[in-house]
Amino acid sequence: MRVLASSLLLTAALAVTSSLGAQNVALVAEHVYTMDSGPQGGPGMVLIRDGKIEDVRQGANLQPPQGFQVIRGAYITPGLIDADTTTGVSGAYNIPADQDQDESTDPNTADVNVRDSLNPADLLYQYVNTYGVTTLQVAPGPTNPIAGRAGIFKTAGPQSPFRTVDQLIVRLNSAVVFNLGETPKETYGKAHKAPVTRMKTAEMIRDALTQAKAYQAKWDQWKKDGSDLSKQPAIEPKTAALADVVSGKTPAIFNAYRADDIDTAIRLGTEFHLKYMLASVAEGYLIREKIKQAGVPCLVGAVMQPFESLETSNATYENAALLQQAGIPIAIMTGYEAYVPKSRVLLFEAAVAAANGLGMESALRAITISPAKMLGIDDRVGSLSKGKDADAVVFDGDPFEYTSHVQQVLVQGAVTYNRPRP
Amino acid sequence: MQKSKAVLATLLLAGGGLASLVSRSPAQSAHDQGVLVVRGAQILPITGPPIAQGILVVKGGKIAAIGAAGQVQIPDGATIQDATGKIIMPGIVDSHSHIGIDGNPTVADSQDANESSGPVQPALRALDAIDPADPNIRMANAGGITTANIMPGSGNVMGGQTAYVKLRGATIEQMLIPGTIGGMKMANGTNPKGYGTRGQAPMTRMEEAALARGIYEKAQQYKAKWDAYTKAAAAGDKTAKEPDRDLGLEAVVQVLDGKRVVHNHTHRADDVMTVLRLADEFHYRVVVHHGTESCEVADELAKRHIGVSYTMIDAPGGKPETIHLSMSCPARLEKAGVKVAFNTDDPITNSRMLLRSAALAVRGGMSEDAALKGLTIYPAEMLDLESRVGSLEVGKDADFIVLSGVPLSVYTHVLQTWIEGEKVFDRSNPLDLRYATGGFQVISRYPPSQVGAQ
Repeated sequence: MRVLASSLLLTAALAVTSSLGAQNVALVAEHVYTMDSGPQGGPGMVLIRDGKIEDVRQGANLQPPQGFQVIRGAYITPGLIDADTTTGVSGAYNIPADQDQDESTDPNTADVNVRDSLNPADLLYQYVNTYGVTTLQVAPGPTNPIAGRAGIFKTAGPQSPFRTVDQLIVRLNSAVVFNLGETPKETYGKAHKAPVTRMKTAEMIRDALTQAKAYQAKWDQWKKDGSDLSKQPAIEPKTAALADVVSGKTPAIFNAYRADDIDTAIRLGTEFHLKYMLASVAEGYLIREKIKQAGVPCLVGAVMQPFESLETSNATYENAALLQQAGIPIAIMTGYEAYVPKSRVLLFEAAVAAANGLGMESALRAITISPAKMLGIDDRVGSLSKGKDADAVVFDGDPFEYTSHVQQVLVQGAVTYNRPRP
Repeated sequence: MQKSKAVLATLLLAGGGLASLVSRSPAQSAHDQGVLVVRGAQILPITGPPIAQGILVVKGGKIAAIGAAGQVQIPDGATIQDATGKIIMPGIVDSHSHIGIDGNPTVADSQDANESSGPVQPALRALDAIDPADPNIRMANAGGITTANIMPGSGNVMGGQTAYVKLRGATIEQMLIPGTIGGMKMANGTNPKGYGTRGQAPMTRMEEAALARGIYEKAQQYKAKWDAYTKAAAAGDKTAKEPDRDLGLEAVVQVLDGKRVVHNHTHRADDVMTVLRLADEFHYRVVVHHGTESCEVADELAKRHIGVSYTMIDAPGGKPETIHLSMSCPARLEKAGVKVAFNTDDPITNSRMLLRSAALAVRGGMSEDAALKGLTIYPAEMLDLESRVGSLEVGKDADFIVLSGVPLSVYTHVLQTWIEGEKVFDRSNPLDLRYATGGFQVISRYPPSQVGAQ
């Protein structure tokens, strides 16, 4: 018996089938973490109707209304949000056939879109759902200085057991991803192509953003001059994608590990007046005053990664705590994994942060409402609040304890994961 | 003794990047101080029931006495350490690690685990490539690991001789456990097939098995020749000619003689069966390492009394042969009567996180008792070290760790790690704390944090 894959698929299929008749669900627990502005962790009940949260009631011994399927647990949290990951585009088998995250043929692939690589049937895409992730921002991989466009998706949908990517979209073009540091220069340097150095990586990004500004100005001028088709500027897809970044329409995400690379990202962000976020930030704690001063939010990378490179060799379990302590808005992300495990588990990474200075509630915030706010999707997800999507996770103990279990995961009111009976 | 460590910390603060010096700092020693008594903690001896308010007496690097308050006499003049409210368990035994041989940080210069110049390398000795100054060793101490089997990598069918060490000391000689010769690393499945991408053998699993079979057949012949020669020479036969020596085959003969256990990297169930087939054929002792799908053939392992040194990975995949990884595999092995040890395979999982691996197995259905044994006495047995380490018993090495809470909680920290009565890690020491959290190379720039020693 191939336990994992078959049971995962079976569970997903059964759960979806069984949830079809139960649109109304009452989640009841001793500890409800709504992650809204109210008090957290008390007993309560979350009422779900037609995929949305109808009501949240605080208090013990609440009577679920008639006609609601009741699910009881010890802890309830909102569905978890992975702020930046390659899960879904970097497949589980890790063979060329399923690796679609890095278009390493050109250091600038601003025009690519993860939507066109995303495989919702990938084992890992489903796996992270079983650990409570209901929303994720899928990003292109780490090799290109200008890597392409990210998108925000649900990990499952209530519609059918086989999901198309379009059924899962929360927002397309949520960001354009830039990579600094070791990986781009190692990728291209090996082939004696640019970038071979960090200064070239920065120069390539600076040049592309400069061109994008000019491109934007050219188009603005053309529109101002009456939009004469015969005089329309030539379309340049890569530059067009970056024009959205320099105009502030699309946020930029800079992956940077070493403190000086983070500093480079801030320099670029400031120079081009970008709306941007820092991601990975292994040495963020060493430059936190600068980050705070720049007012940039941080997507804090996985800390259980092996020390695969020099730029991560000063990673600390306390990074998230130290950044938050400095007053920087943080979310926890899993990013890209090259080998084993092929995906990090957001819940597990947040657990390490929780136990290393961040604390349980802040760690939970960093994988729910904080990323929702940073990504601008808090109108739909991120907290158990009236009117939001009914994305929730039911646990049998403290969500971060090693020995706790995810009992159920709900996406838009549908149970997408039901823990098999031990 | 703490003073010298403080001096080194100051050096680090001044110079930065001198982390390698730290491993050469003499640790606090119970040898110097005569008798050490740790009292007040709950003690988990592993091979016996938990002792509330326990007393541990350490003398000459060994456990001199252990028991409940009132039942153990506290020797006069002993150094007494209070550990009230804490939990003490044996130092963790990691039956599969690459610390010191795949060093930190991961740059080409520090990578010495895989001699990829040929797939059969029995003459290689891990001990000739282990760097005692590798910071990963200090990080392993921070994770409570005291004993390790440091091995060559899995790129070769036969990767070389492994080293059984204590994680302390400035030289490999100080680290090696006296009287041990280590095991023999073998691998099958995906990794040795790496040669195939270069057009070299092995390109297939059948070639991997053929290469393994070939070296054992050669070793059998080598052994027979030497036995015949020794016998003839002993009988006074002056014409008997000494066979040529072969360092590799000598090590393989030690496998055939049962002196050297084979540590076999393997994932898929059919690959596990290939491991068993070879071991059956040549009658050698083997431990299955990783064993991602070993639970699928748990009965085959159980009837041969072969244990699994399991690597707990957070998610399936990364390569096709690990696609069926499941957190419940250790529990299924336990149920079938197979002994399971947990390993780090550092750098695949970090040595600060081995307690976590056992905890995740409990999440997957394993009993807490088996999980704790899988960190201690079972890996000790797999390394033939159970008479020295793996439990807290009188006469055994005084290798123990002091925990802030229950062993399998995410919120628990390792507070102290002791090897043979010497403290090698203390979370209240600012530098040691940074081996636990990360950031030890930049301690002078590390911001003041609210995260304390507890």
